[in-house]
Amino acid sequence: MKRKIRIAIPSKGRLKQPSIQVLQRAGVNILEEERAYVSKTSDPRFEAIFARTFDVPVYVHYGAVDLGITGHDLILEREADVHELLDLGFGKCQLVVAAPEKSKICSIKDVQAVARVATEYPNLSRKYFEGLGKQVEILRVRGTSELAPKLGLAQIIVDVSSTGETLQKNNLKVIATILDSTCRLMCNKISYRTFENEISEFLARLRQGGLK
Amino acid sequence: MFKFQDFDGKILALRAEMTAPVARIVTTRMTTMLEPIRLFYVSNVFRYSQFYVERGREFWQAGVELVGCNTSEVDGEILALLISSLRRLGLREARIDVGHASLLKDLLKTTALDEEKKGILQSLLAYRDEARLEKFMDQNNFPSRLREAILQLSCCRRLEEVSSVPLGSSEYGKAHDHLRNLLEVKDVLDDYGIENLVFFDFSLTRKIEYYTGMVFEASVPNLGLPLGGGGRYDDFIEKFGKLKLPATGFALEIEKCLQALTAQGFQTPEKTKAKTLVSSKFRNAAIKAVKVLRDAGVVALLDVTKSGEKKIMNYAKLAGIEYAVFVDSSLEKPATVHDLRSGVSRNVMIETFLQSFGGQS
Repeated sequence: MKRKIRIAIPSKGRLKQPSIQVLQRAGVNILEEERAYVSKTSDPRFEAIFARTFDVPVYVHYGAVDLGITGHDLILEREADVHELLDLGFGKCQLVVAAPEKSKICSIKDVQAVARVATEYPNLSRKYFEGLGKQVEILRVRGTSELAPKLGLAQIIVDVSSTGETLQKNNLKVIATILDSTCRLMCNKISYRTFENEISEFLARLRQGGLK
Repeated sequence: MFKFQDFDGKILALRAEMTAPVARIVTTRMTTMLEPIRLFYVSNVFRYSQFYVERGREFWQAGVELVGCNTSEVDGEILALLISSLRRLGLREARIDVGHASLLKDLLKTTALDEEKKGILQSLLAYRDEARLEKFMDQNNFPSRLREAILQLSCCRRLEEVSSVPLGSSEYGKAHDHLRNLLEVKDVLDDYGIENLVFFDFSLTRKIEYYTGMVFEASVPNLGLPLGGGGRYDDFIEKFGKLKLPATGFALEIEKCLQALTAQGFQTPEKTKAKTLVSSKFRNAAIKAVKVLRDAGVVALLDVTKSGEKKIMNYAKLAGIEYAVFVDSSLEKPATVHDLRSGVSRNVMIETFLQSFGGQS
């Protein structure tokens, strides 16, 4: 008998509710209290795992779960080698470089080689600045990188922005965009081989359920 | 790759895989050997990337290379050897997925796509995102025949299915040859009786650049990462010398194979050989006893601590030794043998003690 297919979805944040709705559209309803990390679903073949958005790509890459929902930006940041089966459309955001409004840094050209960059995305930031030939110092922070310029920890930050509101509130301006991202349904490459029929059917139900 | 400088300024690197070292040896030290040459290795390798920080930067590979021949029989033999290796390890439900390193490259030669767009197409194939793949091909005005071929290829799961992909026209001649080559390999697999364990995967790309032909990956359902893989590399060995030698090989990652075995509930068989610890106040007799035991195939250790009987028995128990043997002044006299598992002691001649092992040793 085949084991259950595990699907990881964000345990909190702006991606959580839309992700649960995605499962519902494919006819997979979460049955248990969401506080449980592992939940049964209305489809006995699937179980849902609640995980941190940043960790979902790692879970899928290693096959700890078979399917996962999270942002494209995070899949790239965690360098996960996975199938990105479907662009789910929601969770639109951009990974941007931002500086304080009053700062003299107005474009990426103004960024000095000695600049410190605070970010939750050290990999993508390093690659971006390396691509520009700028050897900046990358500081990895967890959450609220907006605070870093205020405290003098860093001159600029790299962070995701969907509406620009948070940046504005913290008196930060966007000086460059690194990439555009949306939420993706991803799949472990070996799981795709093992469960291709079930996963194709899941995808078909998702599309029928009105996903654009 | 890990690279650093030698004292005199030379660049040194830790091997990231074994095919390059094998290629070097074949071209420099095996020039008089008759081809085909079949080689194997078991070795540690080192990777630098972020991905390996989490997994350990050093790991072990066991692999084979068949050098100097480019028939489909070689490719078939390598795949069959991979399957039988996994079976011998005790792994169940192993499968191989096969792709082709030059197939997409040669299909795209007819288009005007630049390198960046080719890269995007390749990642869309690897994503298995059909919707975006179709959109991309429409936006870039792919000719309908090529569009059809790519979509059909990404749906093929069995090697024989590629025969129905419409690549008749001469502009796709080379790609057509690659598909024919895969079909020939499939015929060889039929003869090995493993055709139902080998699948086709158009999206499969190995991260190593030297492959020219068939590429493949082995996996089991219980482990989310491939156990290993390989492929054909016909232009690589000449880079190390003047010899142009086609070759095919594979490498299995030993740690991943162990993880897969554990995931499948495999239990390491208990050791069958009994261990003995020999002690005597008469060193000469003890050394003789150890020799007799070892000659009979019994694992024997000599006590070198000169401790008391109690201490020696205690050590033996903790070290997982089954028998403590206390020898008298000569082997002509009976020795005292303590069975540490049952706690029973008896006085026996070494010969008699050996007989009691029966088939155990």
